Amino acid sequence: MNMATSVSNTGERRSQQNTRPACNTTSFQKKSRSKLVSIPGTRPSVQNGQLIVSTGVTSLDYVIGGGLAVGTLLLVEEDKYDSYSRMLLKYFLAEGVVCGHHVFLGSARDPPEEIMQDLPAPILDDIASDAVNMGQVTACDSEDQGSMKIAWRYQNLPKVQTALASSSRFGHYYDASKTMARELREAVKCSTFFLPHELPAQTHAEPSPISEAYRLLLHSIQELIQREGFDGTAPQQKSRNILRIGLHSLGSPLWADDICCEEKPTQASSLTSFLYGLRALLRSSLCTCMVTVPSHLIQNRAIMDRVTRLCDTAIALESFRGSERETNPLYKDYHGLLHVKQTPHLNCLVCEAPDTKDLAFKLKRKQFSIERLHLPPDLSDTVSRLSKADVAESARLLSSACGGLATSNKHLDF
Amino acid sequence: MLLDVIQGTENGGFVIIQDTVECCGRQLLQSCIAAALHREEDVHVLAFEVCEEDLRLGLDRKYEQRLCVHNGYTDPLGWSEHPLFTVHQFMAEELNAHLSGSEESKPATLIIDSLSWVLRHHPPAVVCQRLQELRRGGALRRVVALLHCDLHQQSIVGSLCHLATAVISVVPGNRGQQAVAKTTRRTKSGKVTHEEEYFSVKEDLTVTVEARPSLHGRPQTEEDEHEADPAANLTFNLRLSEGEKEAKEKLSLPFVFSEEKKSALLQPRPGSGRIVYNPDASDDFDPEDPDDDLAV
Repeated sequence: MNMATSVSNTGERRSQQNTRPACNTTSFQKKSRSKLVSIPGTRPSVQNGQLIVSTGVTSLDYVIGGGLAVGTLLLVEEDKYDSYSRMLLKYFLAEGVVCGHHVFLGSARDPPEEIMQDLPAPILDDIASDAVNMGQVTACDSEDQGSMKIAWRYQNLPKVQTALASSSRFGHYYDASKTMARELREAVKCSTFFLPHELPAQTHAEPSPISEAYRLLLHSIQELIQREGFDGTAPQQKSRNILRIGLHSLGSPLWADDICCEEKPTQASSLTSFLYGLRALLRSSLCTCMVTVPSHLIQNRAIMDRVTRLCDTAIALESFRGSERETNPLYKDYHGLLHVKQTPHLNCLVCEAPDTKDLAFKLKRKQFSIERLHLPPDLSDTVSRLSKADVAESARLLSSACGGLATSNKHLDF
Repeated sequence: MLLDVIQGTENGGFVIIQDTVECCGRQLLQSCIAAALHREEDVHVLAFEVCEEDLRLGLDRKYEQRLCVHNGYTDPLGWSEHPLFTVHQFMAEELNAHLSGSEESKPATLIIDSLSWVLRHHPPAVVCQRLQELRRGGALRRVVALLHCDLHQQSIVGSLCHLATAVISVVPGNRGQQAVAKTTRRTKSGKVTHEEEYFSVKEDLTVTVEARPSLHGRPQTEEDEHEADPAANLTFNLRLSEGEKEAKEKLSLPFVFSEEKKSALLQPRPGSGRIVYNPDASDDFDPEDPDDDLAV
C-alpha cells in the first residue's frame, strides 16, 4: 500500500488519514486544481505547489520544507567518517526503489552494486505507524507515574515535543538493520556509473574547465535522461516517472579531483562546472539528485561556498564520533548535529527554513530522527563555563551562520 | 585495538601508520610484517626509505622466502641503467603482476615504506586512485603504509586517512620511553572506534600494549567538593519543620477536583480546546451587556 499515491484522489487520501490512529492530524485538505501529472511517489508541496518527492527520511523532509522538489539538487556535506551521509544516500535510493522511480547511482570508491545491495528494508505501512506511535504513547505513559497535583490537566501530554513531523505522512520508514529484498530492488530500473570502469587508462589532459571524470559522469546522466525520456522528448511515454540520481563523495580524490588535497588546486572549477551542468540537466527534466561531498577535506572555503551556492538545498552533518563532544553529556542522546546551510526559493520570494536551527540527529533502527536540540537550563553554580578558547574552537568548527547556537547558549551569563 | 589492527584479522583493509620525526613508526610497520609472516602469508614490501637488511632485521629466519622486498632504496628514481625498483613503477601495471605472481592464490599483504616518498613524486589524487585500485585488484589482502604526517600538508594526510580503514598515529608519550598509539578503526558498516594505548615493540617485533594513558580534562573530584547545600549559612530560614510540612500538604488548592471529574476532563477529546466555565459564588454572570454599547 503506497501512502503517497496520486494527487487527484483527495478523497482517498482523506480516508487513509482517518484509518490512522488520531494523533495530531488535521482534516484540512488543500484543494489542488493543478494540472500536474500524477507520478507515483510525488505530491505537490503544500507551501508553493512544487512537485516534491521524499528524501527517504521523513524528518529530513520536514526540515527542508516538505520534501525535495523535482528538478533540484540536494547537497549533503559528509561527516568525518562518512557513516551518516552514506546512510542518507541509501535512504534516498531506497525511497526511489519503493516508489518505483528510476534510480541512478554514481560512485568512485565503492562499486555501486555494493551500495545497492546494502539498502535498508522498507517497513510495511501499518507496522510503521504503530512503531512510530508506540514511541509517542510510551513516552506519555511514563509521565503518569509523576501525576501532577496542580497542573494535572497537562499530565497526559508528552513532556517535550522534540520530534519534528508534519501532519500528513509522506514517505516511508526503513529498518536499518535489514537489507532490502532482492526482488524489490530488481523491480526498478537501476543505472550505475563506477568511475574506475569508465575512465580510460590513459587520460589525455586537454585543457577544459571540467575534468574527464566529471565530464563522463555528466555525459552518462545526460544520455540516460534523453534515452528514457525524462525530459519529455520521447512522446510515447504514457506514464511519466522520476529519475533519482545519487552521487557519492563528489570532490574526493577518487574522482580525480584535487580540491581535497591542495589549497590551490589545479582544477579548482571542475566540480563547480560539473554541478552547474548537472543543475541545468535537472531543471529541464523530471529528476532529483542527492550529492554527498566530503567538505571537511576541502581546504579552500571559497570552493565550498561556491559548491553550496550551486546546489539548491544544502545540509551538513557533523558527527560526534571521535570528537570531544562525544563525552559531552548534552549530546549523549544524539549521534550528531545537522546544519541546514541553504534552502531554495523556487518560483517564490521566500524560502522555507526550519523554525529552529539547533537540530541534532540520531540514527535509530527504524528511523533516522532529526530533533530539536534542547539544552537544559544552567541552574547550578558549579557547572563549568566554556573558556574563550573552547568557544573559538567550536566557532571554527561550526562556521556556518545556521549552526553554532548550541555553544553560544552556554556562553550567555545571566 | 592496536593489536587487532596489527594482527590484521579483517580483509581488504588499508592501514596507515602516521608518525612524526619525534616518534618513529617503522617498528610498528616491522611488527606488521612479522605478524603477517607468522600467519604464513606472502608479504611484499616496497622499500624506499631504508635498505633491505634493516627491514629484515629481527624477522624470523624461517619465513624468509615469503618476504619479497622490492628494493626502491638503492635507485628510486631510476638514474642508473637497470634500476631495481623505481617509484614510477608503483603506478605501473607490472606491479599487479608482481603481486599476484605466487603459485598459491593466497592474497598477499603489501607494505609500503613509505607512502610519503611516493607522494613526493606523484600527485596525491593519483596516489589515492592507485591505492584504491590495488585494494580492489583482489591480489592483495591488506595494504599497510607508513606516512610521515609532518612532511605533508594536513589536507593530503586527511585525504589519505579518509580512504583508510584504520589509522594508527604514533606520538611520544609523556611517560619516559613509552610511545602512545592512537588507533581509529572504521568498519564497513560505518562504525568508528577510537582508542589510545601505550605500546612498546620488543626485539622479536612483538607489540605489547599497556594501559591507556590518563585522559586529559578537568578532574572529577573538584565537582564533588562544591556540592554544598545552598540553604546553609543564611540569615533567614528556608527549611520547613515537620509541622509546617504537614500544614502545607493539607492546604486545599483551587481547581482540585474529585477523581471522576478529573479523569473525565483528562479524556482525549477531538479538538481539544473547550472552555469549561464554572461560575463561582461571587461571580455575577449577567448575559446582558454591561457596557450598554451594543446596538441590540
